[in-house]
Amino acid sequence: MSPKTPILLEAIDVEKHYGKFAALGGVSLQVRANTVHSVIGPNGAGKTTLFHMLTGTKTVSGGRILFDGQDVTHEPDHRRVQRGIARSFQVTSLFLSLPVRENLRLGAQGVQPARALNPWHEPVGARAQSQVIDAVLSKVGLENLADTPAGNLSHGQQRRLEVGMALAARPKAIFLDEPTSGMGIDDLDDMKRLIKSLRDEHTVVLIEHNMNIVMDISDTVTVMQMGRVLAEGMPHDIRSDERVRTAYLGNMITGGKA
Amino acid sequence: MKKYTHFIFAAVVVAAMPLLMQSGSLASEVLIFALAAMGCNLLLGFTGLLSFGQGIFFGLGSYTLALMLTRWPVPMPLALLLATVMGALGAAVVGWVAIRQRGTYFVMLTLAFAQMFYFVAYTATGLTGGDNGLMDIPRPNLSVFGADLWTLASPWQFYGFVSVIFLVVFWLLLKVSRSTFGRTLLAVRDNEERAAAIGYNLRLLKLQVFVISGAVTGLAGALHAMMTGLAPLSNAEYHTSEMILVMTVIGGTGNLFASLLGSAFYLLLADWLSQLWPRWLLLLGIALMAVSLWMQRGLWGLGETVWNRLQGHRKQSADTVVAPSAAAVPAKGEQA
Repeated sequence: MSPKTPILLEAIDVEKHYGKFAALGGVSLQVRANTVHSVIGPNGAGKTTLFHMLTGTKTVSGGRILFDGQDVTHEPDHRRVQRGIARSFQVTSLFLSLPVRENLRLGAQGVQPARALNPWHEPVGARAQSQVIDAVLSKVGLENLADTPAGNLSHGQQRRLEVGMALAARPKAIFLDEPTSGMGIDDLDDMKRLIKSLRDEHTVVLIEHNMNIVMDISDTVTVMQMGRVLAEGMPHDIRSDERVRTAYLGNMITGGKA
Repeated sequence: MKKYTHFIFAAVVVAAMPLLMQSGSLASEVLIFALAAMGCNLLLGFTGLLSFGQGIFFGLGSYTLALMLTRWPVPMPLALLLATVMGALGAAVVGWVAIRQRGTYFVMLTLAFAQMFYFVAYTATGLTGGDNGLMDIPRPNLSVFGADLWTLASPWQFYGFVSVIFLVVFWLLLKVSRSTFGRTLLAVRDNEERAAAIGYNLRLLKLQVFVISGAVTGLAGALHAMMTGLAPLSNAEYHTSEMILVMTVIGGTGNLFASLLGSAFYLLLADWLSQLWPRWLLLLGIALMAVSLWMQRGLWGLGETVWNRLQGHRKQSADTVVAPSAAAVPAKGEQA
């Protein structure tokens, strides 16, 4: 859609081996700024492993990762957060005993982790980051539940908070790992709208199984299979790609199946 | 106002003990072990770290104070300070190694340190007195330039001294638990993986909480040595770690005042039961089982439940304990 926008994130021949098994066998990828870039593929294709490499949750076995012009290949996840990378998790991963607002505050504070070591000052005033948190609360539609412990939210609400946690860090790039997993029909549209709206301020890298969402909101789609990139292109190119059709047994990719 | 509730609770308990109890030593012991239990609570209740190393820091505090007061002409407050520092240093070493692992292996590492420390203390007779421990530790008065400010000779005089220290430390720890640091610890306790993913350096956070915990526990060990006049090998033993842990759990985790309850409950019950039956530890075991099975939020949780019933609140408040209402306080200032 916007091939002229600069490249924010680049993976060059990224490999990940577990013993003899190659979860990723040399994946190269370019993500342009302010786009929604989806990564799709059958289960076990290596999508989540690729995410772990890009966000620094796990270390690479080979290859390089560039973010914003810097080589971040060997930086752990908490360092990459400060460069502007944030992620949500496939399996909801929140601070369940803490209120929604506190979850988001912790997400926002993570960009200045030195503050987390301050044993004297309470997080009030400027430290409370209330403007950022209020903005995120309204974006993910949880204003009325700000003081509810995250563990008491419904699944759909937790999935939205999951995205909100990443947003609170005000990242350049936000990685969403199956944000709609386990969601009911009613919640799906909200999530779709939410992800689409992120493009204005962030770059979105998305793993998603719901083809309606992927084909609707993506600027670029990368198809993975068995730890490699099978195809890459704009949604309509991918939809008509012969290899992708074969890999996916046809109907799933055309949106016949959600 | 709500901010000071727990501090007021603690002050009330400190003031009430001389009125209700006969033994000043027992009352002092309650406060001393409450200090140790609070140190343990920071690790267990706020960070989710089960450490069997607390006895090491307690023992280090006892030995340091004993050595200072018996062999060198060190003023008593300085000896207490050095014991605190030694506790912190010991915790920094244990923590630095142990936090490399999580879960069972973390616990095993602290246990390994506890065993090693015991045998080092047992063997280094020149420093620790080995099996006999260090004896005849004086309890000098608090003085400035030779003028006595505070006589600590009688048990109740010593209790007064301990209670001032206790309340100051309690206030400081309350402050720590409410700081950005304390609040981030709760995140680590809830979900380490996520805490790392949103930018926190878990090792630094854990190391810092270990150092604070060790410092408080070292101070408790030093006060204990001052109280008894002894720094016995048993203060450095695994059993001390266990006792501190049991007090913390019985009182209630994630709440500092609960540790005072735990310490008081454990020591007063032990004092009472031991007069009734020499095998009293068996009964204490049953009490611990009851807590583990039916009241995992400890005495504090029990008290809160009863209070809510009395207030007519039927609402489950299982979550409100660990997430103090401070989290809900809206920020008054604007974003800078």
